[in-house]
Amino acid sequence: MANGLAGTTLRINLTTGEIKRFPTDEKLMREWFGGRGAIAKILYDEVPRDADPFGPENLFIMTAGPMSGAFIPGGAKISFGSVSPLTNGHGDSNMGGHLGPTLKFAGYDMVIFSGISPKPVYLFIDDDIVELRDASKYWGIGSLDCEPILKKDLGEDFEIATIGPAGENGIRFSCITHDFGRQAGRTGQGAVMGSKKLKAIAIRGSKDLKVFDLKKLTEQVSAIVKRTQVHPNMEPWQKYGTAFFIDWSNKNAVIPTFNFQTTYYDDIAGIDGEKLVEKCLITHKACFGCWMNCGKYTKAVIPGKETVYLEGPEYETGSLCGSNLGMTEINQVAYINWLMDNVGMDTMSGGGVVAFGMECFQRGLITEADLEGHSLKWGSVDDVEHFVDMIVYRRGIGEHFSGGTKRAAEAIGHGSEKFAMQVKGQEMSGYDGRFAPGMMLAYMTCDIGAHHNRAWTITVDMAEGQDTIDGRAKVVVYLQHIRPLFDCWCICRLFWGELDIEPEEIVESLNHITGWNITASEAFKTSEKIWNLVRCHYLERNQANGRTFDYPPARAWEDKIPTGPNKGKGLSKEQVEGMLDDYYSCRGWDNDGNPSREVLEDLTLTFAADNLEKVGLLGKPIPGGIPEVRGERYKPKAF
Amino acid sequence: MKVFLKAGGQLRTMIKPDVDHYTRLVEFDGEKTLAEILRLLPLDPAYIAFIYVESKIRDLSYKPSDGQTITLQPPVSGG
Repeated sequence: MANGLAGTTLRINLTTGEIKRFPTDEKLMREWFGGRGAIAKILYDEVPRDADPFGPENLFIMTAGPMSGAFIPGGAKISFGSVSPLTNGHGDSNMGGHLGPTLKFAGYDMVIFSGISPKPVYLFIDDDIVELRDASKYWGIGSLDCEPILKKDLGEDFEIATIGPAGENGIRFSCITHDFGRQAGRTGQGAVMGSKKLKAIAIRGSKDLKVFDLKKLTEQVSAIVKRTQVHPNMEPWQKYGTAFFIDWSNKNAVIPTFNFQTTYYDDIAGIDGEKLVEKCLITHKACFGCWMNCGKYTKAVIPGKETVYLEGPEYETGSLCGSNLGMTEINQVAYINWLMDNVGMDTMSGGGVVAFGMECFQRGLITEADLEGHSLKWGSVDDVEHFVDMIVYRRGIGEHFSGGTKRAAEAIGHGSEKFAMQVKGQEMSGYDGRFAPGMMLAYMTCDIGAHHNRAWTITVDMAEGQDTIDGRAKVVVYLQHIRPLFDCWCICRLFWGELDIEPEEIVESLNHITGWNITASEAFKTSEKIWNLVRCHYLERNQANGRTFDYPPARAWEDKIPTGPNKGKGLSKEQVEGMLDDYYSCRGWDNDGNPSREVLEDLTLTFAADNLEKVGLLGKPIPGGIPEVRGERYKPKAF
Repeated sequence: MKVFLKAGGQLRTMIKPDVDHYTRLVEFDGEKTLAEILRLLPLDPAYIAFIYVESKIRDLSYKPSDGQTITLQPPVSGG
């Protein structure tokens, strides 16, 4: 068994029910860093380019990476991946909780599912016992509702991941839920599980995890614990989590409001983090081995409705299901959070999709006749609940919306594509980029469709000037290399982002765990390699120049911000084009957004260059050669 | 009057700590609001998500007492 790894990879053919064990490929884990990186390489190598994301040839991969479970800061993540039914490209998403460490304690680094089960099943792992079990009696049950039932049936010490009716019914932005509210939300991984008739995963593990240098790892982690315990951010983090930044985001007028029509919300006081703590909080909640406790276990109380219990809402849900839907009271936001969690849809895409529907209703593009006699008005929880039900069970126009905003806009037409707030089919996160150009560029170029977590640049935009695009590309590229590393190693990025743990320290931990002896610069380059491979995969599947796919909806440059402190601000089309030019140049891609052979070979991706050439999408040679270093480590301006 | 400003992340470099890794001592005459104290550095309040004093959220109009510690919380990425 290699250090940091559990030692075994499972391959499960759901069509035949065959379960095979293989020694984990340490070379793959070392060269692609496990997690998102290993997923990217396996999907690239094994899924045919014309495979239907919902078909038997698509793989569904679950992996815990080399650092999860190793008792290091934030070492609690697990990554899921498949070709995304939302974006038709590589998709990956991860979550915290306890599932990742438990998978490794059971003896497995990765589970690769292929095929489609003839009947609903769940994966049962109890150390060496691995079985596909009948899940017929759980099929149709909500994600949050199903977890305690499985725990009751199997034992409290099993860690459970489930999908809800959304995943079962092929809603393309469905999520996977674990630990009563941790979600792998993005890119529709829950929908792929559902297409394979895989309702749940239940794991219990009791084995040891070997590390390379336990003494040095213990010393290093002990020092980090001492340092972070007195960090100024720790106490506020524990008390409020991310929800408190709703107010800040509104004050700085970047919060999506009424489907990104504006960026400032007059009713923010009713839905901000202080209200969450005051009205909904029950207790704080932590992932495996974490002393931060940033999770918030809450309840939502709405007159006339059953009181519901959930984790959240954190910032993204709070904005996208709050101001973006015109909600005015925190219990409304929490209730919608619970509703989407339980049906098993990503609250970020879900908030975006419902908001798009509301704007269509506002503009008369859909009417009560399309909504089974209901309305779809801003701020109405009842309307949201009914509309979500139409989507989940694909009734009437719910069918159009089940594919996300891009597909819904294509079906509705009448210019609605302009305000379908997505890139590559995935809905935007909780920041409006019209006066935050770096954030807009991050959405445009994110490898899995619009998503803030690959490059979060709001504060960079503020420091460097929100009126200019200068310098944004190199920062976005840098962030797109460092942030996904955490998704490879399957650790939480908050210790880096919020508690000042340096990348070099994390690499040092990785070396203590694995004995790999890598450097931070090598880590960044590996992350760049993964980014480029994912880009190649996307181009090969979608068969057009990359630039074609990198545009936000036209609202980004056609509509100036209409209200609030940033009234009248916005991007021009020229700025959008200019940011793409800068970005491609910084990456060593040609002006069509296609990676050049030079950069792919520099990243040891000659095979991908050859494949791109075969489909006519290899980037043209870059005049003057490629930049030696792509991306620039960001340091904020000194005052 | 003196107060201690504490911050991590990007904010930490902006306040220029001089007491310990996270802390800056600010001295001034008479009472001042937090907004006025930040102007002494100077530090744009836009970089601060919220201000935390003795486990309570305070706004920019708050006037700290002598010797109090003011924690400045930067915005975070969430998700």
